[in-house]
Amino acid sequence: MSATTSCLTAHRSASLFSALMADEAKSIARGLQRRDPDLLDRLIEQYQYRLFRYLVYITGNKERAEDFFQETWIRVLERGHQYDGKSKFEAWLFAIARHLVIDWQRSKKPQSLDTLTDPEQESPLQLANETEPSPLHQVLSRESEENVQASLSQIPAIYREVLVLRFQEELQIEEMAGVLSVPLSTVKSRLYRGLQALRGALQGGAV
Amino acid sequence: MNQEIHARAERLIAQERVEGIPPADHDWLSTHLQECSRCAEHARHTEHALRSLRTMAIAVPSGLASRTQFRVRLRAQELREREPQRRALWLACAVSWAFGIASAPYVWRLFQWFGERTGVPKLVWELGFGLWWTIPALFFVVVVLMEKLRQGNESDWTRQSR
Repeated sequence: MSATTSCLTAHRSASLFSALMADEAKSIARGLQRRDPDLLDRLIEQYQYRLFRYLVYITGNKERAEDFFQETWIRVLERGHQYDGKSKFEAWLFAIARHLVIDWQRSKKPQSLDTLTDPEQESPLQLANETEPSPLHQVLSRESEENVQASLSQIPAIYREVLVLRFQEELQIEEMAGVLSVPLSTVKSRLYRGLQALRGALQGGAV
Repeated sequence: MNQEIHARAERLIAQERVEGIPPADHDWLSTHLQECSRCAEHARHTEHALRSLRTMAIAVPSGLASRTQFRVRLRAQELREREPQRRALWLACAVSWAFGIASAPYVWRLFQWFGERTGVPKLVWELGFGLWWTIPALFFVVVVLMEKLRQGNESDWTRQSR
């Protein structure tokens, strides 16, 4: 009896939580339609750490991540009317950030978007030279005394990205597929390879 | 134990963290991990790797949020200031189009009258009327193209497709 009651309570709490999240997303969408400056200020504050961390992971460079951070919010202001509040705001935000990085990479080194996102390509979305200590490695080394954390920077950016989205941002695989604009199967295969690479890096082996 | 069992255990360890596993597989894995030290070690390494990832901290540069807020507010102001100009342009297009439609019969008669008075061939004054008629439409197309250009090469990625 008590198990049933607790199960029902948990179910109700989950429903309530998802309803609140949906309301929040709708309210963000309405605010973005109006280009509400106070809402944007609040969102910048609220998501600063998560967005910056994601950008550091995918660019491998803290200074560049700062530039992309600002550009991302400018895009949010300009394209805010395109967010309809049906999905999580952070998934939309990360998608904007990611595409800014891809556009920048494409302008730097002309190649198609498919090449960058094709999981079968060797080390796609490689923004940092993996053979030398990367700026990300330096950032992590500075900010963490544990070598184990710095070794994470050895992982190719494309795998770091999925690991961050899944295990730090706790996005669902479907949401990740939206952010990355790839099929679910690709997200899963990147996650498995990323997990393997992460384990290898932490054990001090080759990635 | 054969290699296949270890391989299955390793696959389930990863799968459990990535997408979850059914209860039957979970029970099998728990039992196997109690019996097999090698796979238990593998599971510990995986857990350790994920814990390290979750606990890794990257400091946000001080003032980044406030600098961004300032830039966003400036841009918002720019957009607000440009808004009346855009509206005026669209209004001008709409008025010109509406006027073109409303005045078409009169202008036709005017061209006809002028053609008969001056002895200009019918085809010429008809072409003249056609040209007069297409100017607002061309103007409209130019405005639309300029708007598209201004917005840049807006692709589908900012739209919610999923």
